[in-house]
Amino acid sequence: MSTTTVIGASIIVDGEISGEGRLVVQGTVRGRVQVKTAVQVERTGAVDAEVDTDQALISGTVKGRVSARTRVELTPDGRMSGDLKAPRILIADGAQFRGNVDMDERG
Amino acid sequence: MAGTPGIIGKGIRIKGELSGTGDLVIEGTVEGRVQLDNHLIIESSGAVSAQIDVERLTVLGRAAGDIEARTKVELKASARVEGDIRAPSVVLEDGAAFRGTIHMEVGIPEELL
Repeated sequence: MSTTTVIGASIIVDGEISGEGRLVVQGTVRGRVQVKTAVQVERTGAVDAEVDTDQALISGTVKGRVSARTRVELTPDGRMSGDLKAPRILIADGAQFRGNVDMDERG
Repeated sequence: MAGTPGIIGKGIRIKGELSGTGDLVIEGTVEGRVQLDNHLIIESSGAVSAQIDVERLTVLGRAAGDIEARTKVELKASARVEGDIRAPSVVLEDGAAFRGTIHMEVGIPEELL
């Protein structure tokens, strides 16, 4: 059973978010995110956290460490500062990124 | 102007502070503190163990803690709530389970007393 959680644009979460399903961030999240299936940071989203997920799609602002088991994609609106760890990483033209990249070979 | 509504899905657990101005529906678990300028709905699968400070609260699931609402707190038939509820209007539907204290106060400012 897959659920989608939406942190609305006016919502601020300060703490730990964990679980399964898809997390869509339109607001602000500070702390730690550990969500099994996917984390999607929308344009209005701002994440200052350690993120651990399967698939990350970043169109907003992310500061911290993002660890994805499948892939990370930064779209043209994405801005990230921190470390990326994933077997597949896509950074679109226009995206801004600064930090370490670790594409470890994991089947 | 109300912000975008949010949904904390069933498989999600939040430990910490949650604040904002939009409506929020909780189907998962939240521990800590929730501060909303609008309507908070704790769905039947939701469990909130926190200090709750909202405009309006509707509970269909579980809640424990200090609850303060500026307009109304409504416990539906499936609600199981424990704690202190402070609001001008508190409604318990037939079937709702509650243990704690209820203060139905209209917030009268100190100056007027």
